[in-house]
Amino acid sequence: MYFLFLILSGIFQGLMVSLNGQLGNYYSLFGICFFVHAIAAVLLVLYVKGKEKKPLSFRGAPPYVFLVGFMGVAMVASSSWCTLRIGATAMLSLSVIGQMISSALVDHYGWFGAEKKPFRLKQLPCYALVMAGIFLVVQG
Amino acid sequence: MVFYITAVANGFLNTINKMVNVKAGECLGTARGALVNYIEASVIAFCLIFITGNGAELDFSHIREVPLLFYMGSVCGLVAMIFLIIGTSHSGAMTSTVLVLMGQLGIAIVLDYVFFGEFSFAKIAGIFLILAGIAWKERQSGAERQERIRSALSEETEGKT
Repeated sequence: MYFLFLILSGIFQGLMVSLNGQLGNYYSLFGICFFVHAIAAVLLVLYVKGKEKKPLSFRGAPPYVFLVGFMGVAMVASSSWCTLRIGATAMLSLSVIGQMISSALVDHYGWFGAEKKPFRLKQLPCYALVMAGIFLVVQG
Repeated sequence: MVFYITAVANGFLNTINKMVNVKAGECLGTARGALVNYIEASVIAFCLIFITGNGAELDFSHIREVPLLFYMGSVCGLVAMIFLIIGTSHSGAMTSTVLVLMGQLGIAIVLDYVFFGEFSFAKIAGIFLILAGIAWKERQSGAERQERIRSALSEETEGKT
């Protein structure tokens, strides 16, 4: 049952990227970002207010946490821009390799307070397999 | 080429964003942490629309011209987050990573066919290779994690004796 939830989560994430990409036929990149985030913000405010019934407060977080908004705009804008040109499959596949490489860097150097896990050569075949898959997706 | 590089850069940004979001969740709670992201991004995007001279697209008549379905992307994002939290809490990291990717790439193939009329068996073969590579890497990470726990436990036992 929980496996189904995880597959559904992936399906909804894929739907999100693709539908945001389709908004690009009607809005500029920043227009897409605005609607995507504003609709989610309204829904989340309703959820938080309904659940906690306390005034909203964002105190107690380190200042760099407040950079997430800029990253959110950059992520939605770049994924929508790419999805419209190269399709959802290629966009998501290339994003996967970006995530793998950046996660390896974060683990290797212990950035953001993460536990250090040095990169090992035996991981290379896994990356090669993913790269081969991406090549097929992009060329296909 | 620029689209391919941007898509890879999107993956880099995704990882950094996840790390910062985890920190936000620890300090403010999951929902409030996500809310900071959405409110800030809405304000920034709103300002950028006017700075880039596209203010006309916020006209109500233009907003109504867009099919309602295309506005549902953010609702899908929230539903995905809820499913992910429930699913991950009852399964391992490897299972969750591979299953989420399977769902993501599977629906991407369907949607590329629906919106662009594109379909190819090479893409499906590519997706299987990607999933195999990720599963292999997660398996290695799991084994290393267990090895670290085992050595930490044996060090602790030696210390006591």
